[in-house]
Amino acid sequence: MRNIDPSTGGAATAPDPAPVPPPEPAAIRRMLSSDGFRASVTFIAFLALFAVYAVWLGDSFMTTDGRLLDVHQNAPVLLLGLAVLVTLIAGQFDLSVASMATLTTFLAIGLKVNQDWPFLLVIVACLGIGVIGGLLNGFLVVRLRVNTFIATLATGGIFLGLSSVYSKGTQLSPTEGDPPIPGWFSGPDSLGAFGNKVPSVVAWIVIALLVLWAFTAVRSRRPERFAEGAWAGIAAGIVAVATAVLLVVGAGGFVEGMSWTILLLLVVGLGLWTLITQMTYGRHLHATGANPEAARLAGVRTERVTVQAFVIGGVLAALAGIVLAANQGSASPDVAAGYLLPAFAAAFLSTVVLSSGRFTVPGTIIGGTFLVWVSQGLIVGGLEFTWNEVVNGVVLAVAVAFSTVFRKDGR
Amino acid sequence: MAHDIDIRGLTKSFGSHAVLHGIDLRIGEGEFVGLMGPNGAGKSTLIKILAGVHGNYGGELRFGGERVPSLAGRDDVGFIHQDLGLVDDMSIVDNLRLGEAPLRRLGPLLHHGREARAAADALALVGLERSVDTPVGALSPGEKTLVAVARLLARGARVLVVDEATSTLSPADAQQLIDSLKRTTAEGATVIMVSHKLSEILRVCDRIVVVLDGRLVEDRPAEGLDHDGLVELLVAHEVDGHPGGEREPARPGEELVRLEGAVAGRAGPVDLVVHAGEVVGLTGLAGSGLHDVAFLAHGSAVPDRGRVVRPPSATTALVPPYRERQGGFDEHSIARNLTISALPRWRAPWRLLRTGVERRDARDVVGRLDVRPGDPERAYGDLSGGNKQKVVFGRALLRDPRLYVLCEPTRGVDVQTRREIYRLIDELRSGGAGVLVVTSDFEDLVAVADRMSVVVDGRVGPFLVADDMSAKDLEAFI
Ligand SMILES: Nc1ncnc2c1ncn2[C@@H]1O[C@H](COP(=O)(O)OP(=O)(O)OP(=O)(O)O)[C@@H](O)[C@H]1O
Ligand SMILES: [Mg+2]
Repeated sequence: MRNIDPSTGGAATAPDPAPVPPPEPAAIRRMLSSDGFRASVTFIAFLALFAVYAVWLGDSFMTTDGRLLDVHQNAPVLLLGLAVLVTLIAGQFDLSVASMATLTTFLAIGLKVNQDWPFLLVIVACLGIGVIGGLLNGFLVVRLRVNTFIATLATGGIFLGLSSVYSKGTQLSPTEGDPPIPGWFSGPDSLGAFGNKVPSVVAWIVIALLVLWAFTAVRSRRPERFAEGAWAGIAAGIVAVATAVLLVVGAGGFVEGMSWTILLLLVVGLGLWTLITQMTYGRHLHATGANPEAARLAGVRTERVTVQAFVIGGVLAALAGIVLAANQGSASPDVAAGYLLPAFAAAFLSTVVLSSGRFTVPGTIIGGTFLVWVSQGLIVGGLEFTWNEVVNGVVLAVAVAFSTVFRKDGR
Repeated sequence: MAHDIDIRGLTKSFGSHAVLHGIDLRIGEGEFVGLMGPNGAGKSTLIKILAGVHGNYGGELRFGGERVPSLAGRDDVGFIHQDLGLVDDMSIVDNLRLGEAPLRRLGPLLHHGREARAAADALALVGLERSVDTPVGALSPGEKTLVAVARLLARGARVLVVDEATSTLSPADAQQLIDSLKRTTAEGATVIMVSHKLSEILRVCDRIVVVLDGRLVEDRPAEGLDHDGLVELLVAHEVDGHPGGEREPARPGEELVRLEGAVAGRAGPVDLVVHAGEVVGLTGLAGSGLHDVAFLAHGSAVPDRGRVVRPPSATTALVPPYRERQGGFDEHSIARNLTISALPRWRAPWRLLRTGVERRDARDVVGRLDVRPGDPERAYGDLSGGNKQKVVFGRALLRDPRLYVLCEPTRGVDVQTRREIYRLIDELRSGGAGVLVVTSDFEDLVAVADRMSVVVDGRVGPFLVADDMSAKDLEAFI
C-alpha cells in the first residue's frame, strides 16, 4: 500500500534518505568491479609503491642493472618459490626445500673439490638427489600418510644434517691444489656471474616468448561481452602497448643486462608454467589440491600426482642449490636457511599478484621479485639490511590482506 | 504476530548477475510453506539472505513487524542446511549442548542428569527414539537431521527454514523428518521448506510458493493439489518438456563389469553383472553399503576380498553420491570441472592440451544440459545445487565411457531436468553403453531401470525385471 505511514508523518520525522551519491560513470564502475581489475589491484599497488621509490630515491633505485642484479642474486629464492608452489597447488606444504638446496650446494662444490667427479656428473647427481628427496617426501605423505608438515620438517632435518655430515660442519670453499670448479660454472666470466651476459639474440628470443606468453594469458581471460576474435585483437593491443611502455621506461636495459642465471630462471618458469597450465598434469595437480576426494572419484590418480609434485619440488630445490653454488663459488653451512620464508612469501604473493586466489608461476616470479625490490629500495634509502626479514613479513601480510579485503567487497 | 516473516521487494545481484528481482512474500505463524522452482531459480539465495549469509541486497525484511537485516543469530529462528554442524564423535546429548551454557551441579561440575533429561525432552519433540548417549556418528543421515532439528527446537526455534535437507535422505528418513516438522507447525511453529520432491511437498505443505528466475510466479494453498496438478504448476512456467516416449526393450550386449563375491567398505559379498545396452538399478536404505557397491563397479574402490572383473575396453565414469563433498572443485571454472575426467581427448602433440577445442566442447555440454548460468568460465562453486549436479553429470558424459555408474543422478534437480536426465540415460543405453543407477529415489528406478534390486546389509538381493513395476510395488518390496 502506498499510504503515508501516519506514525512517521508527525513531529518525529523519519531521517531523510541519505543524499544519493552522484552516479559514477558506468564504465569506471564496471572496470573497478571487473575480475581483471580485482586480480590486478595488488600488482598496481606495488607499481605505485615503486613510483614512490622512483621519486624518493631517483636514480639510485631506478637502474635497470641494479634491479636485475636483485633478480640475479635472488634466483635461488625464486626457484625455491617455484618448488613450494608446485606442492602448494597439490595442497601440500614442502618445508624441506631450503635444506635440499643447502645439501646440493655442498654437493655441487664438494663432489668436484673433494671427490673430483666430472662436473656434469656432479650436476646430474645433485638433480638426482632432488628426485630422491621428492620421492621420500611423497612416500611419507602419500603412502605412510604422515602429516605433510611433519614429514617435510623431518626430511628437511635429514637433508640439512647430511650436508653438515658431508662437510663436517664447516664451510666448503675450493683452495689451491683442489680439483678446480670449472670456470664456466662459477667465478668471474662464468655462467653464474652477473657480469657475464646472455647474447642479445637469446635475450630477444626470451622477450618474444614472454610477449607471446603474455598475449596468451590476456587472451584467455576474455570477458563475456567480447567476441573471441575482437578480444584477441584487444589482447594483442594491450600486450603491444605494455611492451612498448616497458621498453621505453628502461626495460630495454633488460636485453643487455640479462645474466645466464636470469635466463635459467625464466626458462624454468616458462617450462613449469607450460606444465601446470597447458598440460594434463597441471589440471590433475589443481584438481588434487582443490578437492582430493572429488578428483579421485573423477578418475585422477591423486596419489601419483602428489608424489610427482614432491619430486618436481625436490628437483627445483636441488636446482636452486646448484645455482647458489654457481653464484657463490663456495658453500657454507645452512646457506639457504633464510630462504624458506621468502620462498613461501613469493608463492603466496602469486595468489594476489595478477591472480584471484590461485597459485601461479608468473605470479611467484613477479611477486618474489617485487618483494626483493621493496626491501632493496628501503635499504638503498638507508635502512639497515638486517631489517630485510621484517620487511618481507610485512609485505606478505599487507599484500595478502589488502587483496582479500578488496575481493570481499564484491560479495 | 511475533514470528511473522514479511519479505518486501527483495532483490539480489552477484556482480552484474541479477538473481532475485523483487520477491514479496508474507508468511504467518504456523504455516508450512513449500518453496519450489527450477534449478537456479534463486531459492537458496533467498534462504541465504534470510540466514544472513548474503548481505547487500535490495528491499526489506521484517520479522514480527520489525525491520531486520536478516534472521540470523536469533534463537527463535533455525536453519537446517545439508551441513548440519554436528560432531560425529560426540554423543547426542553433547551435541545438543554444544554452544549452550552448561548445566552445572556445583562449580565446574556438570549436571549430567539434567543435561540428559533435557536432551531426552528435545528428542521427544522430534519423535526420535534413541538413547541420548548414542554417538551421532552411529545415526543414519535422517536421524542426524532430526538431532539438528531437536537442537534448534530446544533452543526455542519457532521458525524453521529447511533447504533441501531431505535430498540426501532415504525415503523413510525423509518422511520421518518432514512428519516431525509438520508436528511442530501444529504447535504454532513456522516451517519454510525447499524441496524438489513433489510427494514431500504434497504430504506436508499448507501453501506452495513457486520461484522462477528470481520472481514469485505462484503462491497458492496446497489444498486441492495432487501430484499431476503440482507438476503442471511447476512445468507450466517452464519451457515445454520432452514427453517421455515408449522405451524400447533392452538388448543387453557383452559384459562390462562383473563383481564376484566382492567385499569393500560396508558392501559385500556382492555378485553383480552389468551388460552393455542395459540399465541396472540398485536401491536400498542409507548405510546399507549401497554406494560402496557403486564404487566397486566404478573401480574407485578396490575389493578387500572377491573379484571385480572388467574387460580392458570397459572404461567407466562415475557420478558420485555426495555432490557437496565429492562432486567438484568450487574455485575452478565450470569448464574445468567438466573436462577433468576426459583430458586425453584434447591432447595434442607434446602432451599439450588443445584448450580451444576443450573450451568449445565444454560449452557444448553446458548448452546440452542447460546449465545456468551458461558461461563455462564461471566458478563452479557459484552454481545452484541442481546446476552443480548437471555439471557432474556432464563430466561423465564427456568421458564417454562404456559403463556409467550414476549415484543419485537426480538429486536436487528440478522436475524438468529430471526428465531430461532420464531421457539422457535412455539415450546412453540405446547408444550401447551400460548404466548402473544407484539411488535412494524409487522414481529413478521406475523411470530408467531395466532390472533392479535392493541392497540390504551390503548384499544385492534378487533382481526384478522392470516391466510393470511401480514405485509403490517397489516400496512394498523393500
Ligand atoms: N555466490 C554466488 N556468486 C554468484 N552467483 C551465484 C552465487 N550463488 C548463487 N548464484 C547464482 O544465483 C542463481 C540462483 O542460485 P540458487 O542457489 O539460489 O538456486 P536454487 O533455486 O537454490 O537452485 P537449486 O534448485 O538448483 O538448488 C544461480 O544462477 C546461481 O548461479
Ligand atoms: Mg538450492
